Amino acid sequence: MNNVEAKFILQGYRPDGSDAADATFSAALEQARVDPALGDWFAREQAFDRAMCAKLDQVRPPAGLREAILAGGRVTEPAGHRRAWWQHPALLAMAASVALLLGVGVAFWPKQADASAGLTEFALIDALHSETHGGHGDKTGELQAALSQPSTHLGGQLPVNFAELRNAGCRTVRFNGHEVLEVCFKRDGAWFHCYIAQRADFPALVAAIAPSLVDRNGTSIASWEDSSLLYVVVSKTGRSALEKLL
Amino acid sequence: MASDIFNQLVDAHYTPLFRFALSLTKNSSDAGDLTQQTFFIWAKQGHALREAAKAKSWLFTTLYREFLRGRRRSERVTALEDLGPVEADPPAPEVDVVTGMDAGLVVEALQEVDEVYRAPLTLFYMQDLSYKEIADILEVPIGTVMSRLSRGKAQLRAALARKEAGQRGKVVPFQTPSARKLS
Repeated sequence: MNNVEAKFILQGYRPDGSDAADATFSAALEQARVDPALGDWFAREQAFDRAMCAKLDQVRPPAGLREAILAGGRVTEPAGHRRAWWQHPALLAMAASVALLLGVGVAFWPKQADASAGLTEFALIDALHSETHGGHGDKTGELQAALSQPSTHLGGQLPVNFAELRNAGCRTVRFNGHEVLEVCFKRDGAWFHCYIAQRADFPALVAAIAPSLVDRNGTSIASWEDSSLLYVVVSKTGRSALEKLL
Repeated sequence: MASDIFNQLVDAHYTPLFRFALSLTKNSSDAGDLTQQTFFIWAKQGHALREAAKAKSWLFTTLYREFLRGRRRSERVTALEDLGPVEADPPAPEVDVVTGMDAGLVVEALQEVDEVYRAPLTLFYMQDLSYKEIADILEVPIGTVMSRLSRGKAQLRAALARKEAGQRGKVVPFQTPSARKLS
C-alpha cells in the first residue's frame, strides 16, 4: 500500500476512534505510525475532521420541532386495519407487556435490580414478535436440539458457548449496548424463546440463582443464572408449559 | 408503551436527523419538515420494524429516500460523478480557522459541497455511523462512500477557504458621530 492508498482509506477514519476495531483501517494506521510524512498528514486530517464534527455538533433543531414530531406521532394511525386503538394487536401486545412487567416487577422486588427488569422487559417485547425471529446459524441447531429434548432441564447451566454461537450466526438482540443471544426452541408442540446474556456485560443484574417464574395473561417468564450467563425464557403458552422445562 | 417507544426514538434521533436534513435541504424549515416526515413514516410503517438496533439506519435511510423523492434529480448531480481524480492534498484551511468560524458559517460551507458528496460527508461528520452503515443508508458500495468522502472533503476545504476569505474581506462600517453627519 502506498501513501496515496493509505490516505484514501484513512480519510474515512472517524476522529472519535469509533473505527479503531475495524480491520479495514489496520494496515493504513500502521503505515501512518511508521511513516512520519503520512503520520503528519493523518494528524492534520484528524484535527480538521474533529473541528468539523464539533461544529456540526453545535447545530440545534429549531424550537418546537420535537414537540411537533411527537404530536404528529400521537395522531398518526399505523397503516393496515383500521380498528379502535384498544383493538390493535400491537397495542394489545404492548398492554400485555406492561401488565406482565408490572407482575414481574412485583414478584421480583426487591430481589431483582431494575436493570434485570429491563432485560426481562426487553425479552418479553422481543418474544411477543417472534414472527421476526430467524437466522439462528448452524451451531444454534445443536443447542435448539438440546433444549427441545424432554431430558434437558432448564434452570441451571446450559451447554452454551456464547462466543461460538454468536460468531456462528446465532440471532442476537442488543440490550444496553451488549449482545444477547436469542434461541427459539419447541417442546411438546409449544414454542419458547431463550435469551442468554453474559454476566460480565451486565454486572448490575441480580438474577435469582433458583429459577424465578412469573406468569401473566397467558405469558410466562423464567429467569436464572449460572456462573457466567444470565438466562430468560419466555413462553406464550402459559405457566404449566414453562414449569415442565425446569 | 407504544407512545413511550416513539418518544424514545424521537429523543434519540431527531437531532442528528435534523442535522442530516439541514445539510441536504440547505434550509432549516425544509429540514424540519423532512425530519417530521421521516417520523411520520415511522409512525405509519416503522412499527413493523422490531429490532431497535436497526431503527437508526431505517430512519436515516428513510429520510434520505424522502429527500430524493421530494426533489427532481438534476443532471448536474450525475455529471459530477464523472469528474477527474481528486486534487492531491488540496490546500486546507488551518484547523484554527475552522474552530474560530461560526458554526452556521461552517454549515454553509458544507452546504456548498455538491449533494452527492455532501450526504456521506455529513453522515461521516456526525460520527454516529461507520462508512459501512453510510454505504447501506445511501445504497452505494463502500468504495463509493470512500471516494465521495475524499471528493467531498476537497470541496469542503475549498468552500471553507472561500468563507474565510470572505470574512477577511468584509468591510465593517466604522460609525462615528462625524461619519453619521456626513452620510
